[in-house]
Amino acid sequence: MTVKHPKSARTTMAAQTAQTATGVKTAPSVTPPPTTTTKSVPAPLRLLDKSSKDLTLLARASETEIDAIARAFQELAGQSTVILGLASAIVDCIEGEGIRSVLPQVSCLGTAAMLFVAERLKATVGILDTVTTETKLLKHLSIITASQSTIALKTRVLTMLTNVEVGRLGTTGSGFQHLAVELSRFSQSLSEDTEELVLHTEARRHAIEITRRVLTGQLPHLREEFARIETSLAEDVRELESGFNALLAIPTQFRSAVQDIAAQITGVVAAIQSHDITRQQIEHVQEALPLVEASLSAGSKSRATLARAAAAQDRARAYAGLTVQIYQLQSIKATVAGWTSQVKSCIQGLLDIGGSGLVGISPLVLEQEREVSSKLAHIELLERESVEYSAKIRTTVGSHSSLVQLVQRHVEKSRDVRQVLHLLSINSIIEASRLGDHANAILEIGNGISDLSSEWSKITDQSELAMQEILRLVEQTRILLETFSEDGDERLRSAQDETRTCLVGLRAAAEFAARQTSDIQNATRRMQTVSAGVGRTCDLLVEAYRHLDTVLETLEAKRRQLETAYPEVRRGYDPQGMESLFSASYTTETEREVLHAALNGKALPEFQKPSVGNDVELF
Amino acid sequence: MKRILSVDDSASIRQMVAFTLRGAGYDVTVAVDGVDGLSKAGSARFDMVITDLNMPNMDGIQLIAAIRKLPGYSFVPILMLTTESQVEKKDAGRKAGATGWIVKPFGADQLVSVAQKLVK
Repeated sequence: MTVKHPKSARTTMAAQTAQTATGVKTAPSVTPPPTTTTKSVPAPLRLLDKSSKDLTLLARASETEIDAIARAFQELAGQSTVILGLASAIVDCIEGEGIRSVLPQVSCLGTAAMLFVAERLKATVGILDTVTTETKLLKHLSIITASQSTIALKTRVLTMLTNVEVGRLGTTGSGFQHLAVELSRFSQSLSEDTEELVLHTEARRHAIEITRRVLTGQLPHLREEFARIETSLAEDVRELESGFNALLAIPTQFRSAVQDIAAQITGVVAAIQSHDITRQQIEHVQEALPLVEASLSAGSKSRATLARAAAAQDRARAYAGLTVQIYQLQSIKATVAGWTSQVKSCIQGLLDIGGSGLVGISPLVLEQEREVSSKLAHIELLERESVEYSAKIRTTVGSHSSLVQLVQRHVEKSRDVRQVLHLLSINSIIEASRLGDHANAILEIGNGISDLSSEWSKITDQSELAMQEILRLVEQTRILLETFSEDGDERLRSAQDETRTCLVGLRAAAEFAARQTSDIQNATRRMQTVSAGVGRTCDLLVEAYRHLDTVLETLEAKRRQLETAYPEVRRGYDPQGMESLFSASYTTETEREVLHAALNGKALPEFQKPSVGNDVELF
Repeated sequence: MKRILSVDDSASIRQMVAFTLRGAGYDVTVAVDGVDGLSKAGSARFDMVITDLNMPNMDGIQLIAAIRKLPGYSFVPILMLTTESQVEKKDAGRKAGATGWIVKPFGADQLVSVAQKLVK
């Protein structure tokens, strides 16, 4: 290549391509070839001229496609951000407090239900024991009352005997008459009390028997329920946990897939920016072709008019120029192939994204909600059953106060009777001693009363013992019955309320997931529509860059011709000198690397797929 | 709303810069070369300028030097967005008054981040 000014090669080339004061890039000035007609211009010049025109067509055609792809991917970037946001919201919702609390809450509910049943089971067993003991006690009381009935009978007999004796003694036995009256009244009262106690005792025994039957019937059910809850609690929590993990996996996987796509989109957006580099590469090749033309021309004419060394130099420079342009064009081709591959891979990923898995989230959440609701309903049923049979127990076992009062009254009366009998016994002995020989029968009566008195004393002691035992049972039953009170259910109630709150959260989460999924599907469809359009644009871009192949074929053919005709051209140039000459006009690192590889016979630098853009360097 | 001027002879780069920064809430005006950029900078007040280096009519270095002479632009951040990465070019840019340098392709997040940092 000829130069006008005797400057360094670098600045010469730079000056040749420097912008004018108005900033217009000018083609480097060259020594114009000798005037010739078009017909006599050697064929290589026309071909390279055509190549330059082909490159112009290419640059123009590709600009439109590149712009379209850039816009499309910017929209895709926006949509992917929207989808990521929606998917993340679903993930956050499922991972969030409302749903996260369901598992521990179900566990808590299960534990509370287990305790509820266990306490009732224990109380039922306890009440059954007290009922059984009470039954025995009532039997014992029956025996006591039977004894008392016998004593009452004996007292009546004594009363009759006393009346007979009083009749026999006449006025002599007037002191004894009072005794006879007392004895008669006492005998009546005793009979009545004893009968009342017998009646109540029997009624109580009947009620106790009903309670015993109720409790006996309930016990197996409670045991069964307790065992069921105990074994199923851990299983239920595990199933729910498994369900929630499966639930969480869906949006997490989807979000991960969309994140991958978003990263690919970022890569494509960065790659598209590289078009600016390829555009400059094409422009520089276009600028260089006339220079190569000139060198070829000088090299072919030189045989006739210039020194051979100079001609060889021109040919070598032309060869180097061709090699550099071939490398640059191959670099452009590799870059464009890299982009289109990146774009197509991204598009395929976009088309493969399906939000269909997400559609299942809402139903899954609702299923979890139904599972928990079912558990809650079962526990509510247990509660109702408990209320029913505890009411039954209360009406029977609970109504122990009347028995207590009765027995208390009876024991007090027993003590009174003991006292009265004792007094009667003493009085009769005193009367008998007063009456002397006439009192033998009265003495007998007195002894009889005395015997009754000591018999009654024993019975009174037994009654008192029975009374204490009854009081103890009553207290025990009262404590056990508290288990069935509403206060005792507080823990379960609290767990149920918390669980219901969780269910509200679950339903809200299901609705939220359904809405988000619908939005995601819409956004995904929009992305896929845009992607389909990009696919077509990409094909147009590839088609446009086929012009590059034509230019490459021309330049390679030219170079082969030179190599064949002048084998020495390969070693005829100084690589460093040529590198300095060319690099002055290059504005990108890529071009400089390609230039170095071309002039030093190295392999073309590999296309580096950009994944993210470069950072800003602040001064 | 903060205003940013983007100057580049490449339509796709102009479009990308505008899209990135508008998405971050900035009002972006574009210019096709240095002359257009200088004209727009003179007729309106911008809070930041992003310019390419190699442009027809007026390159980025000349544009920066000219913008710095405009009233009110002494401290406005000006970033060079270019394919060039040579130290000599960066030095020339800094001497002309550039605030920072980005080698294409730019990272969208990084561009937004530096805009948020520089434009207050």
